[in-house]
Amino acid sequence: MLTLLRKIGRFLSSLRLTVTLLGFAMVLIFVATLSQVHLGIHEVQLLFFRSWIAWWDVVPGGKKFSLPMPGGTLLGVLLIINLLAAHSARFKLRWSKAGMLVIHSGILIMLLGEILTGLLGKEAQMPIDEGETANYSVFPREIELAVTSLDGTGTETVTAIPQGRLKDGAEFAMDGYTLKIHSYYRNSDIVPDEKATGEFERTRATEGVGKHYAVKSKSRETKMDRRDLSAAFVEIIPDGSKPLGRWLLSNALKGEETFAVGSQAWKMSIRQRRLYHPFSIRLLDFSHDRYLGTNVPKNFSSKVRIINQETGEDREDLIYMNHPLRYAGLTFYQSGFDNNDTTSIFQVVRNPVWTLPYVSCAMVGFGLLWVFSQHLIKAVSRRNKVTAP
Amino acid sequence: MIKPSRKILAWLIPVLCLIFVGSAVFKALAPEKGFHFKEFAALPVVSNGRVQPLDSLARNALLAIVGKQRVPGEDAPESPAAWLAELAFRPEIADDRKIFLIHHDEILGLTGLTRGEEKTYSYAQIQSSFQALQPEARRIGTKEPQTRTPYEKALMRLTRNLGIYNQLKHALGHPGLMEAEKEFEGFLANPAASSAATRGLQAWASFTESYAVPSGKGDDGWRKLPESVIDSIETGGLHPATTAYARLGDAFRADDTAAFNKALATYQTWLSGNRGEQQGKGTSEAVFNRVAPFYICMVLYVVAFLCAIVSWLWQGTVFRQAAFRTLLLGFFLHTVGLIIRMLLEGRPPVTNLYSSAVFIGWGAIVLAIAIEFFYRNAIGTAVASVVGFATLLIAHHLSLSGDTLEMMRAVLDTNFWLATHVVVITLGYSANFLAGTIAIVFLFRRLFGTIPKDTVNSLRGMVYGVLCFATLASFVGTVLGGIWADQSWGRFWGWDPKENGALLIVIWNAMILHARWGGMVKERGMMVMAVFGNIVTSWSWFGTNMLGIGLHSYGFTDAAFVWLSGFVISQLLIMALGFVPRKQAPAIPA
Repeated sequence: MLTLLRKIGRFLSSLRLTVTLLGFAMVLIFVATLSQVHLGIHEVQLLFFRSWIAWWDVVPGGKKFSLPMPGGTLLGVLLIINLLAAHSARFKLRWSKAGMLVIHSGILIMLLGEILTGLLGKEAQMPIDEGETANYSVFPREIELAVTSLDGTGTETVTAIPQGRLKDGAEFAMDGYTLKIHSYYRNSDIVPDEKATGEFERTRATEGVGKHYAVKSKSRETKMDRRDLSAAFVEIIPDGSKPLGRWLLSNALKGEETFAVGSQAWKMSIRQRRLYHPFSIRLLDFSHDRYLGTNVPKNFSSKVRIINQETGEDREDLIYMNHPLRYAGLTFYQSGFDNNDTTSIFQVVRNPVWTLPYVSCAMVGFGLLWVFSQHLIKAVSRRNKVTAP
Repeated sequence: MIKPSRKILAWLIPVLCLIFVGSAVFKALAPEKGFHFKEFAALPVVSNGRVQPLDSLARNALLAIVGKQRVPGEDAPESPAAWLAELAFRPEIADDRKIFLIHHDEILGLTGLTRGEEKTYSYAQIQSSFQALQPEARRIGTKEPQTRTPYEKALMRLTRNLGIYNQLKHALGHPGLMEAEKEFEGFLANPAASSAATRGLQAWASFTESYAVPSGKGDDGWRKLPESVIDSIETGGLHPATTAYARLGDAFRADDTAAFNKALATYQTWLSGNRGEQQGKGTSEAVFNRVAPFYICMVLYVVAFLCAIVSWLWQGTVFRQAAFRTLLLGFFLHTVGLIIRMLLEGRPPVTNLYSSAVFIGWGAIVLAIAIEFFYRNAIGTAVASVVGFATLLIAHHLSLSGDTLEMMRAVLDTNFWLATHVVVITLGYSANFLAGTIAIVFLFRRLFGTIPKDTVNSLRGMVYGVLCFATLASFVGTVLGGIWADQSWGRFWGWDPKENGALLIVIWNAMILHARWGGMVKERGMMVMAVFGNIVTSWSWFGTNMLGIGLHSYGFTDAAFVWLSGFVISQLLIMALGFVPRKQAPAIPA
C-alpha cells in the first residue's frame, strides 16, 4: 500500500507528467485555434478551455467524427497538482532553488488568476448615443425576457426572466396572470409573412407588431461581431380566464409590447440582459479621426460625464484607445462605434483579479532571468577553466 | 599566432565588402545629369495617410504591379521616380508599357485579349475592357477573401493594380493637360467660365488619392493637385507647389531639362522655407529607398556564410575571422537601416509583419554574435547569416503587398506597448529560429560523420542557452501582450489565435527545458525538438494570420500559405534526420 502511494506520489511529481501535460496542452490549444474558424471564439472557450473533456469535431461542423481530449480545466488542475507535488517532494530552501520557486509560484498565480477571472469576471457593453445617458450595460451574448408593470406615478417595476429558463411550454406565474412560452428560439430568422418559405414555423402571433412575421430556428452565431437573434411566442393567460392572445417577442424587433390585465398595464420584451449601475454616464461627444485620404482609423475617443447621485459626483472624463476609465470597480474601454459615428460603444468589465497577471509576469520574468543568468555564469566559469593554461 | 600574410587575408574579404557598400551608397547619392529625378523623387506628398516621397509612391506601386522596383523593358525609365514622371506627365508613353501580368485564361477571355508570348499587357491594351472587369470585381468583392478561387484572386489583383496605376497617373497631372501652367493660370484669370472647369477639376480629384500640395496648416494641411487649383480662386493665386508641378509637367513634355530642374529647385527652396520637416522626411526616405541597405545586407550575409563554410574545410582561423567581420559589417548596415526606419516612422522597430521580419533577423544576429564571441568556431556566424538572409528575403516578399511604413491603426497607436510587448515577443521569435537553425547544423553534421566531442558540447551549449533566452523573451512578451489586451480590450487573455500561437511557443520552450532537465531527451532529442520549435514559431508568426479570424488578423495572408507549408515539411524532414541511425562515436580517451 505504502509503495503504491509512493509510486503515485512519484508519478504526480514527475517531470515526465509535466512534459506530457504540456504536450496535451499544445494539442488542445492548436486544435482549439483551428476550431475557431467554424465555431467562433466564445464557443471554443467553453468547449475547449473551460471544460474537463473537450470533444474535437475532426470534420468541422459535421459532428460525424469527434475525438475526446483533456480539456483546459482538467489540464490546468493536473498541472497545478503536478507543480505542487513536485515542489513539495523536492523542496529545499536554498538560494540556488529560489529562482525556480519564484517562477513556478508566478505561474501558479497566473493559472489561478485565469480560473478566478472565469468565475468572478463580468463582461458587458454599454452603447450610448451622443447626448444620451445610460445607467446600465448589456450583455451582448445573453438575452432576458423583461416584463414591466407601470403604475400611475411613473415608477416601473421590472421582472426579468433569464435566458436559461426560457423553454418551450414553460409557464411563469405573474401578478394576476400566467406568462406561457409557446415556443422559444435561441437564434432565429424573422421575416415578413410574404417572404416566409416552407421552412418557417406555421405559428403566428395574434397580437402586437409581430403579427405579420414568420420565424424559423437557426444555428448559433459564431462570428465575433454578430449576435444571436432570439425569439419567443408568448401567451398571456389571466388567472381564471381565456388567453389574451399570443405575441412574438424578439431582440430583433424594436420597442416593447403592451397589454393589460384588469386595470393594470404591462410592457414586455426580449432584450439583451442588462446590468444596472448605481451611476449613469452621459456621452457628450464621440470623435473618430481617420488618416487623411484613407479609412484607417487614427483615433477614437469619447468625452463622457459621470453622474453619481449617491456620492454627488459629477465630472467629465475622456475614454480613448488604450486609456480606459476605471470607475466603481468597473473598467470602461472604448470598444466600438455605430450609427455613423454618433454612437459610442464601451466594453464594461468587472474583473476583481485584474492585477494578478501583472504580479505573475513580474515574478516569472524575474525568476527566469535569475535562473538563466546562474546558468550563464556557470557556463562562463567552466569555459574559463578549460581555456586557462 | 597567425602569420601577417594570413592576417591580411582575413581582412581582405571584409574590406572588399566595405568597398562594395561604399560604392552602392555613393551611387545612390551621386548627382545626376539630365533630369534631376533624384530630387524629384524626394518631393513629399501625402498618400496612404502619411507624408512620403514620390519615390516611395512610385516604388510601392511598381512592387504591387510588377513585383519589382523597376519597369521591365529595354527603353524603360531607369528609376521608379522617372517612371512616375512619365506616368504623370507623358501618360501616353507609360500606357504602352507592358507591366500588367495576366496569366489566367478566364481573365484574358473577359478582356478579349489574346495570349501573346509574354504574359504582360499594357494599360492601353486593357483599358477598353474595364467595363467587363468591373461587374466581376464587384461580385468577387462581396465574397470573403478566403473563399475566392485563384481566378477571382487574380482578377482582384489585376483590378487593384489598375486602380493603383490610374490613381498615380492623376496624382501630379492629367492625360488631357498639355500646357498645365497656362491652363491653370487661364482658369484663375477667367472665373466666369470656370464652373465647367471646376467640375472637370473635381472629377480629376476623384481619380487620385494622393495629396501633392502642402497648403493649409497642420498634419492634414494637404490638398490634391486639382483641388489646389480650385482653391486658387479664393486665395487669389496658384500655390507654389501647384505651379511647380505644372511647370515640371510642361518641361518634361517639352523635354526641357533646364526648365525641369529649375522648377524643381524653386519648389525645393520653397519647401525648405515652409515645410522643412516634411521635406527632410521625404529626402531621407528617398535616399533610404535608393541605398536599400537591406539588399546590401543580404549580399553581405551570403558572403559571410560562404566564408564560414570555407573555414570549416580550409584555413579555419583566417576565414572564420573574415566571415565574422563581414557579418559585423552587414549587421552594422542592418542596424542603421532599422534605426532610419524607426526615425522615419517615429515608432519602435516592429510595427507590421514586414518590420517583424527585419527585426527577427536582427535579433537573431545579435544573439549569434554573442555566441560567436563565446565559442569562436564560425557556427554562430554561419547560422546568423542564414537567419539574417532568410528573414530579409521574407521581408522583401512581404514588401510586395504595399507600403511598409504605413500608419498604425488606432488600437496599435501606442509606442509604449509596441516597444515592450512587440519587441520582446519578436526577440523570442528570433531566439527560437536561431536555436532551431543551430540544431539543423547539428543534425546535418551528425549525418556526415561523427561530430567531435567538443563541437557537440558547444552546439549543445548554444542551443540550450538560446532556448533559455527564447523562453524568457517568449514568456515575458506573451504576458506583456496580455497586459496590453487588458489595457485596451478589457481582458487579459481571450484565446485569440495570435495569443494562442504565442502561448504555444512558450509551452514548447518549457517542454524542451523540462524534458532536458528530466533526462527524457539528450543532445539529439533536444536538437530535434528545437527544429520543431521552428515550426511552432512560424505558425505563431504567419499561420495564425492565415485563419482570417481574431483581433490580430491584420497581417498579410495569401500566397504565404504555400511557403509556410513547404517550410513545415522541410523542418519535419530535417527532424527525421535525427532518427537516422548512426554508428556509435568511438570513445575519446579523456
